[in-house]
Amino acid sequence: MNLRKTRVFWTFTLLLLLPILGVSAQISLMDYEQGLYSIPVSNPDFILFTIELGMTQADFPAEPLLRLIDRLASHPGAVFEKDGILIILAHALEDGLPIEGLVGKALEGLARNVSLQQIEQGLSQLLILLAETRDLFYSKGIFNAPAGAPQAVPTAIPTLRFNQLLIHVSGTIGDFLESGGSPFEGHLLYQGMHNRLTMLQGITLLPEDVELVLDRIEPSDLTQVALVAVR
Amino acid sequence: MKHDELDNLLRDTLKADVAASKSCILGMEDRVIMQLGERSPRLRWSQWLAQLAAPTRGVRLGQIAVVGATAAIFLFIGLALANRILPGNNSPGLSLQPVRSADGNQEVLFVMPALDAESVAVVGSFNAWEGTALSDLDGDGIWTASIPLSPGRYEYAFIIDGRWWGQDPLADDYIQSFGEYSSVRYIGRGGDGA
Repeated sequence: MNLRKTRVFWTFTLLLLLPILGVSAQISLMDYEQGLYSIPVSNPDFILFTIELGMTQADFPAEPLLRLIDRLASHPGAVFEKDGILIILAHALEDGLPIEGLVGKALEGLARNVSLQQIEQGLSQLLILLAETRDLFYSKGIFNAPAGAPQAVPTAIPTLRFNQLLIHVSGTIGDFLESGGSPFEGHLLYQGMHNRLTMLQGITLLPEDVELVLDRIEPSDLTQVALVAVR
Repeated sequence: MKHDELDNLLRDTLKADVAASKSCILGMEDRVIMQLGERSPRLRWSQWLAQLAAPTRGVRLGQIAVVGATAAIFLFIGLALANRILPGNNSPGLSLQPVRSADGNQEVLFVMPALDAESVAVVGSFNAWEGTALSDLDGDGIWTASIPLSPGRYEYAFIIDGRWWGQDPLADDYIQSFGEYSSVRYIGRGGDGA
């Protein structure tokens, strides 16, 4: 291989590696800050503070959140509506709730070209469902055991596993309501939850966690959660 | 002219006409009967079916040719589709059965038939709802893309020439989101998206 060919080879290799290196680079608080100031949001300090809180979580969706902020920054919608979406995410982070589903929902709404107001309403309902489902878990003795904390009761589940259950149970209720289901159809809600958790059993959910939820949560419990969300 | 004279004239004229066309009238009855005999009788439906089941040799050969050609066309289409989507062929990347890679991800095939489409893409929770283009290299109208996915649940939809299409026949489930349908696939044990 002559010198010219070697140079061309390395140039192409570098060009191919650059995007990979860029994507895998650690996302810092500064990246979010730049995005937030380019919107610009009304209370960047509060949002940044909650993002910093969230970054300590193992399941924090760092890259999707940055992507959402960038897309909001380039969206032609009103600033107060973008602000509203980010405030909902900030409240979820502040409350220690997983935001994976919320970020995904917002990205989907933007891709579908749905109005920012509609996205905000969807996120708001999902946030209520997350919080209510977590309260339901607690009331049923299903607890969240942060990493490193002693497991006080056998039904305390490590945060990552707890959050996955939370996302899928609240997500089932959210999907059901969005599809026009009535909160009073508790048996259908339960069936939907059963199907979803069973399908994920052994994939992203542990069988014992699925069993715990299916044993302790009843159709009427899901009706109660759904009613709060549509109120 | 008197009535008697008119009657006589008419009678004579008719007689003359009959005499002139005597050759045509003679044997007419026989000819009519013979022609009626040559016409094939009208078949009842049961007789028609019986004839269809036991046709002449020429008709039977024609029927066999038509049935054979139809079967060959369907076989060809079936094989063409099977080559694209079933496992165990020479293109494992285009299998509906996810192929697990070393990093735990699975190559998942997305297929959308769209005969006259200019472009087809798939958007979903696996690509932050940003389009991943499907390709139709052989131009048969079946668009495919193979995407590496880690085990889990994914919501997605296709975009065909700019229009969203959320009901993938290969999906495990369907939901409504923002008033539109989305498909759901479970990748890993249990669903596999197949």
